Formats: sequence, structure tokens, C-alpha cells
Amino acid sequence: MIGFIILSVFIGIIIIAFSAITQKKLADSIILFMGVSLGSVVLFFIFKAPDVALTEAVIGAGISSLIFLMALKHLGEKK
Amino acid sequence: MNLKRDISTSTFSGFALSASLIITFLNVLLNNIPVDIKRVGDELLKLNGSEGVANAVTTVVVYFRGFDTLGEIAVLFIASLGIGLMLDSNIRCNLKAESNFMLKTASQLLFPIIILFGIYVMVYGHLSPGGGFQGGVIIASGVLLLLISHKEFEVPHSVITLIETFAGISYVLIGLIGLVVLDKFLGNFLPNNISDMGLLLSGGIIPIIYIIVGIKVGSEMSMITQNLIKRSDDV
Amino acid sequence: MFEFFNQPEVIKIVVTVGSMTLFFVGLFGLLTQKHLIKIFMSVAIMETALFLLFIGLIYKQSALAPILTDNQQGFINMNDPVPQAMILTAIVIGMAVLALGVSFAIEYYKLTGKTDIDEITSLRN
Repeated sequence: MIGFIILSVFIGIIIIAFSAITQKKLADSIILFMGVSLGSVVLFFIFKAPDVALTEAVIGAGISSLIFLMALKHLGEKK
Repeated sequence: MNLKRDISTSTFSGFALSASLIITFLNVLLNNIPVDIKRVGDELLKLNGSEGVANAVTTVVVYFRGFDTLGEIAVLFIASLGIGLMLDSNIRCNLKAESNFMLKTASQLLFPIIILFGIYVMVYGHLSPGGGFQGGVIIASGVLLLLISHKEFEVPHSVITLIETFAGISYVLIGLIGLVVLDKFLGNFLPNNISDMGLLLSGGIIPIIYIIVGIKVGSEMSMITQNLIKRSDDV
Repeated sequence: MFEFFNQPEVIKIVVTVGSMTLFFVGLFGLLTQKHLIKIFMSVAIMETALFLLFIGLIYKQSALAPILTDNQQGFINMNDPVPQAMILTAIVIGMAVLALGVSFAIEYYKLTGKTDIDEITSLRN
């Protein structure tokens, strides 16, 4: 059962990452990147590493996405 | 999708072929490791039973590899210095719209709860998953909540600089005291009994160092987010 | 089918192939995108793929997390704590370098007004 869950989460992360790179607007791209970070938190929890999962949840889905959003605010939406 | 340049068919097929070869090679290599070799992690787990704390990852980060944590704090300091150099200016650009009453009241109610949770994760880092890095970033996210909901809020610059400086200095001072007392940089000079494992006051200097790391990381993250949000548009 | 995926060799193959595919997705984005922020995002995706590979390769289904709880006697039959400590450090450093790179991109845009990497690296004004 666990092996099947690992396989499906991996497939989900790869599809979300590929569509995050090939979007036209920058705002959609940043939100899909947050989805990649969330999927990796679930995988770290399944692999029995609670410290790493907590760090990735706080930094990846919190501060790292905020940095990209601030870049979007200052750069404008040009392409 | 528009590609950067015209990628010909041979380049793309070469890329796909080399990618599949690397994946196959890594699979064969990494799945045939013999089972009964000795690992560093097993020896460190055995050593943790006599001179560590209940959370084995905290012992490895702070005590067995404490010098690497000092280097990581140096890297964070240099990054914060670079961001402050490029984005800081005397003219502050505040947010353009005043938030309404509900947002202000809700964020003022949530801010002490987030700070309390961050301090809890930081102080109990040696007994449950957590520690200095996680607690410090949680505190910085509480400050971020106040920054984006109030128009005129600002973290005072001199106070934060003072806190960060003293946290950095005391890390090195504790290491030097260990060098003087025990002939070992970052040695454990406070009492550390095996029978205390699992209590809050155990482990010698390990919780103290992690709290210092958490204070430094939290204040640096607050300064980075404030510099990114309130950068002026006219300079 | 569920019993087939629970064997340790199959889990190792799934982890290696999955994280290497995510790494090559990030590399594809690094080579073909034009906007500066999307290039930074591709580098962050490549870093996440490597962290998944490190933690996934030492996963044993019968071992426990490396934290001592109430009904255990000693530190036996636990996972390896050394790679977890290193990945913790690497996550924080990756975030700090990303913040510095994004601040450089913001300053460059304020100075010249370009975010397209073809226009930045061309020799003509």
C-alpha cells in the first residue's frame, strides 16, 4: 500500500512541476510551485523524517514562495 | 511553448537518450550496495545513547557536527548582508491601500499565538521534531503577517541588529568556553546525565545553542522580508 | 498489485527514477525558459529533486524515526540521522541563495527594465 502511495505522489509532483514551468502568466507558475513543495512535504513524512518535513513545510511553502511573490510585485507582469 | 532557440531533432533525441542512460546507470549502482557494511549513522546512534539528547537529529546538527552549523549561520549572514546592501534605502515605500477593520483585528489576535508556537517549537527542539531553524522561521512569519496587514508597521532597525549581533557572538563564545574547560571546541561543559534523557533540562549546552541559533535565524528572516516588501520605487 | 509495490527493491527503483525525472524536468525548464524568475524557479525544483533522492534512498520500511519515545528502550532499529541533518542545512542555504538572486533580479529590472534573458545577453543596446 505504501509503495503505491509513493508512486502516485511522485507522478503528481512531476506533472505539477512540468505545468509550473510552461505556464504563460507568472502568478499561476508561482502557485503551482507551492504545490511541488507541498508534495515533497508529504513524501518526507512518508519516508519517516519528521525534522526535514517540518523544515521544508515552513521554508518551502512559506518563505520561498513569498520571495517569488515579492519579485512578482516589483517586476510587474510583463510576459 | 516558445523555445529559446531552435532545438533540432538530433539534439533532443541525444538529450533523451543520455537522460535514460544516466537513470539506468544510477539505478544499477545504487541498488547493489552490500547490506552488511558499517555506516557512520549506526556508530553515531550508539554514541547518542551515552552523551546525546532524545532527538538524534538535533544531536547530530548541534553537537557532533556543530562546526557545520556555525558555517551555515555564516552563509545566512552573508546573504542577509547582500540583500540589505542592495535593497535598503532611506525612503520607505508603504503599501498603497489601508486595510479594513476586520483584517487588522484578526492579525493582531493571531500574532501572539504564532510567536508562542514558534517559541515552543524552538525550546522543545531536543525532545520532539523541531528546533532552532524551524522555530525562528515561524517567528519571522508572524512578523510578516503584521507587515502585510498594517500600513505603517516597521521593525526597528537598531534593535534587530543588536539582537542578531549578540546571538552570533554568544555562539562563538560558548564554543570558546568549551575549548578552555574541556580542550574541545563546542565541548559539553554543563552536566549531562544519562538518566535525564527525555526531560526538559537535559543535554547540557545543546538546547542553549539551538535557542541561540533560532534567535539569530528569526531576526535575519524578519529583516530580509522587510527589505523585500518595503523597497522604494523611486530611487 | 498493491503487494508488488511494497518490496524494497521496487521502492528504490521508483524513488530513483522519480527524483531523476524531476531533476531533468527542472533542467529542461532551465534551458528553454526566457523569463528570469522562471529560471530561478527551475533551479529550486532541481534542488527539491535532490533532497528527495537523498532521503528516499535510506528508507527502510521496518525502521522507526530517529526520535526516542516513551515505549522504547534504546536507540536501536532506527533510521540514519546523518543525511537528515545535512538536508536540513541544505534546505536553509538554498533558500538564502535564492533570496539573494531574486534581489539582484529586482535591482537589475529597476536599472534597465529588462527581464528577458535574450535581451540581457545581447551585445547591442
